[in-house]
Amino acid sequence: MRPLLALVRKEITVLFGSPMAYLSLTLVVLVTALIFFDHLRLYNQILFLYASSTLGGFETGTVPDYINLRDSVFFPVMDTLGITLIGVVPLVTMRVFAEERARGTDEFLVTTHLSAGQIVLAKFAVTYFFVALMMAASFVYPAMAIHQGGIGAENLLAIFLGLLLHAIALASIGLACSAFASSQLVAAVAGWAVGFVLWDFGWASPFLGQTANRFLDAISLHLRYGSFAEGIVSLANLAYFVGLALVAAAVARFSFDWRRVAG
Amino acid sequence: MRGLGAGGLIAIAFGMGSYYATDHFGLFSGVNALLGGLALAVATAHALSRLRGASAPPFRGILLRGLLGIAAALLLAAALERAAHHSGVQFDWSFEKKFALSEATLAALADLPCPLTASLYYEDFDPRSRSTRLLLRTMAQTGDLHFDERRLDDHPDEENRYAIGTSNTIVFRCGDEFQTVERPTEGAIYEALYRFRSLESRTLYVSRGAGEGDLERTDALGFSGLSQALVTEGYRLRELVTASVSEIPEEADAVVVIAPARPLPGEAIDALHRYLERGGRLVAFVEPGRESGIEDLLARWGIRSKSAVLIDPASGPVDGGAPGVNPIAFHYATSHPATRGLDSSRMTFFRGARSFELRKPRPGDKLSGVVFASPRSWLDPDIAVLSSKVAPERPPEAAEDYHPIAVAATYPREGKQARIVAFGDSDFASNRHLRTLYNLDLVLNSIHWALEREPDITLRPKTSVATMQFPLPLANTLRMFQGLGLLLPELLLIAAAILWLRRRSA
Amino acid sequence: MDVISARRTATEAEAHRSGVRIAAKGLTRRFGRHTALDRLDLEIEPGEAFGLLGANGAGKTTFIRLLTGYLVPSAGDLTVDGLSPAREFKAVRQRIGFVAETLRLYPDLRVRSFLRFAAGARNLAGAPLRSAIDEALARFELVDLADRLIGHLSKGLQQRVSLAQAFLADPPLVIVDEPTIGLDPVQQEEVRAVLRGLRGRRTLVVCTHDLGEARDLTDRVAILYRGRLVALGPTSEVLGAGDALPLFRGDEGARR
Repeated sequence: MRPLLALVRKEITVLFGSPMAYLSLTLVVLVTALIFFDHLRLYNQILFLYASSTLGGFETGTVPDYINLRDSVFFPVMDTLGITLIGVVPLVTMRVFAEERARGTDEFLVTTHLSAGQIVLAKFAVTYFFVALMMAASFVYPAMAIHQGGIGAENLLAIFLGLLLHAIALASIGLACSAFASSQLVAAVAGWAVGFVLWDFGWASPFLGQTANRFLDAISLHLRYGSFAEGIVSLANLAYFVGLALVAAAVARFSFDWRRVAG
Repeated sequence: MRGLGAGGLIAIAFGMGSYYATDHFGLFSGVNALLGGLALAVATAHALSRLRGASAPPFRGILLRGLLGIAAALLLAAALERAAHHSGVQFDWSFEKKFALSEATLAALADLPCPLTASLYYEDFDPRSRSTRLLLRTMAQTGDLHFDERRLDDHPDEENRYAIGTSNTIVFRCGDEFQTVERPTEGAIYEALYRFRSLESRTLYVSRGAGEGDLERTDALGFSGLSQALVTEGYRLRELVTASVSEIPEEADAVVVIAPARPLPGEAIDALHRYLERGGRLVAFVEPGRESGIEDLLARWGIRSKSAVLIDPASGPVDGGAPGVNPIAFHYATSHPATRGLDSSRMTFFRGARSFELRKPRPGDKLSGVVFASPRSWLDPDIAVLSSKVAPERPPEAAEDYHPIAVAATYPREGKQARIVAFGDSDFASNRHLRTLYNLDLVLNSIHWALEREPDITLRPKTSVATMQFPLPLANTLRMFQGLGLLLPELLLIAAAILWLRRRSA
Repeated sequence: MDVISARRTATEAEAHRSGVRIAAKGLTRRFGRHTALDRLDLEIEPGEAFGLLGANGAGKTTFIRLLTGYLVPSAGDLTVDGLSPAREFKAVRQRIGFVAETLRLYPDLRVRSFLRFAAGARNLAGAPLRSAIDEALARFELVDLADRLIGHLSKGLQQRVSLAQAFLADPPLVIVDEPTIGLDPVQQEEVRAVLRGLRGRRTLVVCTHDLGEARDLTDRVAILYRGRLVALGPTSEVLGAGDALPLFRGDEGARR
């Protein structure tokens, strides 16, 4: 346990001792806020246009019910964020294992009392913590705006949970890629590739049968993430994200064995 | 080889990225995905070839243990997910609780006469279909429902067959019948499912000819909504033309009178009285300021009402009226079937109501209030208060009490049991207010009770959802954006700069 | 420099010898078609200062990596005190202090933080951890540099930090891979002085391609050429008798 805690402490010190962590946080918070603000501004414009055409005598009737805060602002933002995070999170995870390997400090780690499993556990835990911090910081502005719109605290919590789990899933994928990659760049690109492939399998549905499509739906990040945005917190989706983290950790752990064998 | 692998990953990333950006899996996406996959496969095969010549047992043992670890993790992940999926446990934290199916919907699903198929017809880019999809999935988990999704563009013939007018429409099929639901809320779906049920039809005779509420009128003041709801609940509606009625038809399971504006013919009132005497059922809506004869009939049966306006100060000004003139009721007879499920959180709304005093005509008759105004309510004899905006003042002689707004009564007659339900207001059942709060449930459940259809008494899921259509004022949005959206990144960048400068000098 | 004197008489050295025994038999490691180590037979006695020499690509670093358990042998056996680094790597790691070839440290950590991490990673805690860090800082003259970022130190100082972490848990086996590579002459002498002082109380394995360094620091040496052992014996014999360069080149007839 002591070696594990020592590694966790070291990881946190290195992470927050470097300006890169703050730059990553800044990037994510800024991008989220800009996306959200832009959608909100557009929504206000559309409402204004509808209102003024009604008042101006055009027989357009009342504003259509799908022009509302949730469908016009909130869900598009969540969808955009879902894909944006696929691009951003691997930039955070790419250095976690790959940098150790590039620097050669992985050999140093191997000569301590740390087992491969402990190394994986520590790095995953610290990365998850950082990603959670990133999501919390980037969610502050949308949460305030949406709460003003009267969505309720429970619904907000469900949405944040979905965002957090999605980011953690991407971090898990990124970490597994970083564990196998020989450089940070390859780790990032692999994280993007795997993330994009897992996000949505709609492109494959015309070519596959019903069973295969159902299987792909079950492993698709988009569908799992989407239901949280609607306010549904299902045990199956929670289990999916936990399972994905487990598999990614197992893959990262295997990378140590692979290195010992393949060199 | 590593370059090949990296190139393959880049190709896959761009191929998939293009698909998500354009929602179109075309040549660019396909070629990139294919070539990227091939490149990755070749690079992987080369990496595996580096294991050639390895024969030492620890070598194989190590790899095998690692791969078994991954396999075990995969199995555990799959098992966890499947177990959770089969458990069906989910929490509906949505604002409208639109994914927590009501007991009424669950009962309707369980009570279907045939396997149910639901097809969601949608267009790409329609954001509403997401919620509908989730709702159908939730229903599929709890009931015997098979559902699929169909793009409207791909099924033009079905668009005509099922009269589909817009995207995000569900077509339910049960045997040879189908129901099309264009605004799929749980309430609308529930009503569609209800129509599949084979219900023993009961016949309601609805009075007409004396300015009663019009079941065919579709504007806000009409009662077409009540008509549709009654048909959905399995009632046949017939007209009872009061000008020419001498006897209520034998087939009438109940008579409904909706606040006649003009006096009913004496013959019609007598016919109603004789109908009740032989065990008939009457559902009557009255209004303050109207004396159509139905009020006298009710009085003969122990349900007296003065032509006074019920004022409930606890309700405050509602729907543009003076304070207390339009009462919101949340006191109910706790054990009466007609108001089962209604409580202080499930309110009903009335627009200008009169109240009742009960005095049973004969021993054995049972008369009870079922919906009450608050204990601060009182009766104002001045009908003009209905159109005033000024809060009425209670005269000292007007007593405060739990004044009943709706009553239900049973009368043993000729070996049968006559039943009367009387409401002190009719507007609450009009198109404008029928689906407000729990008005619909009160009306339908009361009628079910009158016809001894107590198993059908339920609280129905809502057909409307809060749309959050109000804009956030730009000034507010701007303040929040600058205060939170920009300030936080600014502080983070300052922290990064300070850290970097400190490190440089460390 | 406060050098710990390690000059003992042979009798004293024998009496105080500790450390681990290393035995390699038919040790082979391949990477695809390339054989980095080819049937290496070797034994290192406890307390010995052993040098592993060879040109670049001879297999020195591969042997070190097999010793630490970082790699697994393709064939043959390797034991450390009877324990296999491939299978019983936990037990083997508890016996090892390792100084890597290049300066593989964390440039974003301060010296004391890094040593605290290295000590914690070796399961030290509380008072033993604190005293190990203080002793390491004192022994390697890093006290004044304890709060400096490692990335801001010179190569020589970073190598001292690297050495310091290797000795934190007082391991019976210390492996040093190319200890003076990239250092200027002054820094080289400083590092060698430290290593000289550590001889005798533990097994020391030094990988180098510097003959002078090998003569200075080791009791016995082995020379590798393209993964094969071409010379093994006391340092004075292997490197003292004539030109050792043919051994590095793998010349036929030059084996010892």
